[in-house]
Amino acid sequence: MNARADMLAAIRRALPGERNPRTIGAAAEALARESIESRPQIPGADLTEAFAARLVSDRVVGASIDRVNRLEDAPGAVRRYCRIHSLDPVLALQPDPELQRLDWGAFEIRPPTGGDETLAVARARWAIAETGTLVFHSGPESPTLLSFLTLHHVCIIESSRILAHLEDYADAEKGAPVPRNVNLITGASGTADIEGALVRGAHGPAFVHAIIVGALGQTP
Amino acid sequence: MPAPTDDAIVDTFKTRASAALADANLKLAIDRTTRTARAKREAAVAAWPGFPEARDLGRRIKDHVIENLDHYLLEFERNAQSSGAIVHYAASAGEACEIVLRICREAGAKTITRSKSMLGEEIGLPHALDAAGFTRVETDLAEHIVQLSNDRPSHIIWPALHHTRENIAALFRTHHHTPQNSDDIIGMVASARRQLRPGFLGADVGISGANFLIADSGAICTVTNEGNAELTTTIPRVHIVTAGIEKLVPSLTHAFILLRLLVRSATGADITQYTTFHCGPKRAGDRDGPEAFHIVLVDNGRTRMLTEGLGEMLRCLRCGACMNHCVVYNEIGGHAYGGVYPGPMGAVLTPVLDGLEKSRELPHACTLNGRCQEVCPVAIPLPAMLRGWRDKSWAQGLEPRTQRGMMGLWAFAAAHPSLYRLGTRLAIRAIRLLAKGGWIDKLPLAEGWTRHRDFPKPAAQSFFEQYQATRRKQD
Amino acid sequence: MVNARPRVGLFVTCLADLIRPRTAFAALTLLRRAGCEVEAPPRQTCCGQPAYNSGDRGDAAKLAQNVIKAFEAYDYVVAPSGSCMGMIKLHYPVLFADDPAWLRRAEALAAKGYELTSFLVDVLGFRPQGIALAARATYHDSCSGLRELGVQRQPRALLAEVAGLTLTPLPDGEACCGFGGTFCVKYPAISNAIVDEKAERIEATKADILLGGDLGCLMNMAGKLHRRGSRIRVFHVAEILAGMGDGPAIGEEP
Repeated sequence: MNARADMLAAIRRALPGERNPRTIGAAAEALARESIESRPQIPGADLTEAFAARLVSDRVVGASIDRVNRLEDAPGAVRRYCRIHSLDPVLALQPDPELQRLDWGAFEIRPPTGGDETLAVARARWAIAETGTLVFHSGPESPTLLSFLTLHHVCIIESSRILAHLEDYADAEKGAPVPRNVNLITGASGTADIEGALVRGAHGPAFVHAIIVGALGQTP
Repeated sequence: MPAPTDDAIVDTFKTRASAALADANLKLAIDRTTRTARAKREAAVAAWPGFPEARDLGRRIKDHVIENLDHYLLEFERNAQSSGAIVHYAASAGEACEIVLRICREAGAKTITRSKSMLGEEIGLPHALDAAGFTRVETDLAEHIVQLSNDRPSHIIWPALHHTRENIAALFRTHHHTPQNSDDIIGMVASARRQLRPGFLGADVGISGANFLIADSGAICTVTNEGNAELTTTIPRVHIVTAGIEKLVPSLTHAFILLRLLVRSATGADITQYTTFHCGPKRAGDRDGPEAFHIVLVDNGRTRMLTEGLGEMLRCLRCGACMNHCVVYNEIGGHAYGGVYPGPMGAVLTPVLDGLEKSRELPHACTLNGRCQEVCPVAIPLPAMLRGWRDKSWAQGLEPRTQRGMMGLWAFAAAHPSLYRLGTRLAIRAIRLLAKGGWIDKLPLAEGWTRHRDFPKPAAQSFFEQYQATRRKQD
Repeated sequence: MVNARPRVGLFVTCLADLIRPRTAFAALTLLRRAGCEVEAPPRQTCCGQPAYNSGDRGDAAKLAQNVIKAFEAYDYVVAPSGSCMGMIKLHYPVLFADDPAWLRRAEALAAKGYELTSFLVDVLGFRPQGIALAARATYHDSCSGLRELGVQRQPRALLAEVAGLTLTPLPDGEACCGFGGTFCVKYPAISNAIVDEKAERIEATKADILLGGDLGCLMNMAGKLHRRGSRIRVFHVAEILAGMGDGPAIGEEP
């Protein structure tokens, strides 16, 4: 109580004058819009191509990609991934109804946050081409921990949900209720804390695999 | 107030600096870290033509928030509370720790996980938690190493840079349940992952910092590369955030704009692997998340900085670029600074936190070369702020008597040209007597110079002696 | 547009005055060759930087007033030093921020103050003619000149006209040499560590000569190089440009 009052009083003493919320808000908004001019450019017009290229570039650690036509083809892509990494066909599946209704017959499905699984499969809410980022919101159909407990994290993303810039994500969610957790995930977990040597899989996943659905060889 | 003698304060910083200078392993470690950081930052900046503009925008965003700090504090509080967060205010480090301890006790906590937070270090939270008898599990790998070795961070981004792989391996072999077999770094990281996993899963309370406080939503932002912040803050039933009030930004978009500058300046990456926004506790229907979400907003000198001409320091994003590029940091490392924050930003902040008398060496141990300001993503005028501390130090009479005396003499002479000409003519004659060939290897009164390098013999006649002789000839 | 024969007051700098006058004579020569009427007003002593950087604003202001009085009547004030001119241009106005009358005078002087190479190139469009020196040189950009005044391109543009001189870049050239004015005597061990690394990089260029625009830095590096047994010779860039490269280097004073 006191600390709050003291802090506010100290600030007002140091910075006297009226605070007009409308003026302040307008100034903030104007500043935000300015970033459009200077932010990093996306190479090319095709966001899917840009996102895919970014993910496998050296700017993103520990990520790989695959492309499928339809969401129904995703389980097949996951089987491909398991073969490449010699993984047993066991996975923790995000409780997203769109994912749950797909044909996972070739797999043993475990509950989403058992804690012991090697592979988690989830659908990302958005992707961002600028940075090669996958965006997850926490919710009934999307536990946060699913993105963090397993060694391999397979993320399915529809190409229509690939945005250009970080700000575009903010704009896309403007006015929508804010979830408890928004995770912007860019590549695999890593650390360079021991002699500067980069090692993957510090606490989170060591492998992130994005399965991009749709827009195979087409511009959206 | 009588000025302290040369020895009383000087030795503390200088002793630490000397020890650091004599440590060849430390130098290797510092160089390895900062050279890579500098090169990566340079490459990231070169790859982004809009960087100078974006940097200017970042500075203006920060200044806008600072100018309206109370407005954004209240907006954040309102929105955080609406989201179900409990907001606390702490004027001092001690108060902040007390609040955290109280929350932990009320939660019946035994095990507490922490993700990396420089603010946590600043308020002395690790020590407070230990003293209160909690089991503290540091989950950031570098902080885990620092905890095992019972020392302190030496860099704000790579706190354990001063440790070699060999001594980390030894620490892990001593403290880990299933340590690695060799000094292989991959093995060591795997050992840490195994060691810390039970800690994550069994924690009652998770404590994080915040890189940003988003005013229009009441969310807080954490940025990490390991994923430990998410495990720390999702699993336990209570999540406590400790954050300085200068972390406020108006909206998510503003956070993104600053994030672009922060990460490139810190590690040269374009974004951290994990950028997470936390808003309130677990919601109905959420599968995971904490039951209670507390945010402790800490002042600890920040409002004072507004009144003491240090407001620009509140722009600081805690990226570490300044220390990576500081020639002094690169020789003495972080511990020599003796405080929580090293390097140029530490030299500005430590006198705020610890008092000028105790830390006056830090603003003086600087060549004022300005590289720090140049690489600062929000253009903080660090050299000007260090000069400001020097002004205060002089005004408070904290300089050693001998230094004040010499300065007074020089200034007096320089203010009287005829006296200056005469005095310097005599000085030159005297100094020349000490020369062997063109060099002097021992200069009394400037022994600091000749201890390490030679001093050039002055010319037989000063410029003005020769110049005025020539002019007299012409007349 | 520069008037015919601009009247220039040369700010000699105390290091040039007391240790190495030939730097200031080289500056005079260059400015005359560039078509200026130049003199060194005798009432100048020190720009006040040592006091200013020590937090002694009072003494710094006194010395600054002397400098302003000595030079304000000239068309320009020029110094063969980025740090002294940085003091005059950037910091004199700061010193007098609360004194409107002196602030005006400080700003007026600052507006017509230039570091030597920047004056020659940016204001006069001057290039040295008929200067030759067969040598391999490397150049150190002093921090004040570089960061306070933007001096980097200009000395190189001038040196490009010296026949026979090749310039090899100094790795990590923008890193401070560790002089820092009083820093090098207040924190000698740290300063030494910094200049030792600098000297190593200078030696690795295999250059014959080291050049720069600030005597403090040059003396610091020359003194370290000599203590290390290096044979590289050190000059102020003005001396080379004025054709005095055949004279004694720093530390070769008879």
